Amino acid sequence: MITLLKKEMKLTASPVSYLFILFGLLAFLPGYPILIGTFFLCLGLFQSFQSAREANDMLYTALLPVAKRDMVKGKYMFCIVIELCYVILTTVPVLVRMTVWSDAAVYRSNALMNANLVYLGFVFLMLGLFNLIFVGGFFKTGYQFARPFVAFIIVAFFVVGIGETLFHIPALSALNAFGFTHIGLQAGVWLTGTVAFTWLTAVSMCRAIKRFERIDL
Amino acid sequence: MMALCEIKDLTKSYPSFRLSDISFSLNAGRITGFIGRNGAGKTTTIKSMLGLAQPDCGEIRYFDLPFSGNEREIKQRIGFSTGAVNYYPKRKIKHIVAVTKTFYPNWDERAYKEYLELFSLDENKMPCELSEGMKVKCNLLLALSHKAEILILDEPTSGLDPFSRDELLTIFIELKNRGVAVLFSTHITSDIEKCADDILYIQNGKIVAHCSKEEFAANCCKDGETLEESILRMERDNRI
Repeated sequence: MITLLKKEMKLTASPVSYLFILFGLLAFLPGYPILIGTFFLCLGLFQSFQSAREANDMLYTALLPVAKRDMVKGKYMFCIVIELCYVILTTVPVLVRMTVWSDAAVYRSNALMNANLVYLGFVFLMLGLFNLIFVGGFFKTGYQFARPFVAFIIVAFFVVGIGETLFHIPALSALNAFGFTHIGLQAGVWLTGTVAFTWLTAVSMCRAIKRFERIDL
Repeated sequence: MMALCEIKDLTKSYPSFRLSDISFSLNAGRITGFIGRNGAGKTTTIKSMLGLAQPDCGEIRYFDLPFSGNEREIKQRIGFSTGAVNYYPKRKIKHIVAVTKTFYPNWDERAYKEYLELFSLDENKMPCELSEGMKVKCNLLLALSHKAEILILDEPTSGLDPFSRDELLTIFIELKNRGVAVLFSTHITSDIEKCADDILYIQNGKIVAHCSKEEFAANCCKDGETLEESILRMERDNRI
């Protein structure tokens, strides 16, 4: 499986997938809908699927000594690695904004979503939905990616909308906590996002394997 | 004689085509020419043999192991090529090879270099810069460089000039002498006459003959008929 992952990274991946990990640093920006950075990461991953199809990667991989199910797992592994790199990178501004810059005026006066653990929970949720809707949708056919990506765009912007709206409801204002205030709630949302990511990805991969086994290449 | 690959009652249906009850075996040190007109089912059979197409039913065994569940181990021991290399057109051959060989513990770098020279391939070129014939050779290069015990080649001689075809058929004979089983599909009867030991003839998704070349000549060719003439006659009879 590691060999397949290396193949995805060296041969198949679009450089854009790596470059767009840097959008994790958007979480430093005040007055910016920071969840959009996660959408950009997904756009970068989409580029890898596009370049893989252009390069006829499925046929090439099928000729290698791997099982058909490994082809699916390889693509998921690649997405998960890129996604986790993004999460690690975007955690840096989150930690900085939660600690040394927690009282910075530009962040305190920010009308949009704050970079805290709740934000990271939403990041995980969006990445899990990408794996479910786009990656899972792609493996229904092994070549069609436009429709699953459009479906993901709709859902992603819905998630961004919810993330940017919820804390404006007075009862839920704690979601936009600064520093370590309401840390229990913050950690709860983060944990829920992490569990959602794991569950959505696992469900998507199991379904994709079953579907792809039935496809004629 | 040891059967390295056995196909039994392979069936695959499409809305407008059906591959019916395909059964044959490939033996060590034998070259099998898989012949049939375009659309007869050669590629579908080969794809089904390699799991690229999902058969409706039938049994596929290599080295006495069922293909299903043993794909990784079996694919390590077989070489497969689908005509011209039509993947990663904008990557240098050496980059494709560098990744490919990591999948094969048996990768034979010496054989790779030999075939590279024999095929006059420049590994600094990209597939998109190669002619159709050179693309076929590039695909063969990958299939031949990992000590495969069975070679399954879908129309390997299509697009090759007569000299390259002759070189390739000579390579098949060399591989056969080393005990490799070779199955190659073609619609060029002279390729079969030149190097095949056995003939597998498919018509409309059904195997109509699987025997040695000599048996085929004795049973299917009328007096004085060449292989090509007898196959053309059988195709014409089938259309009536």
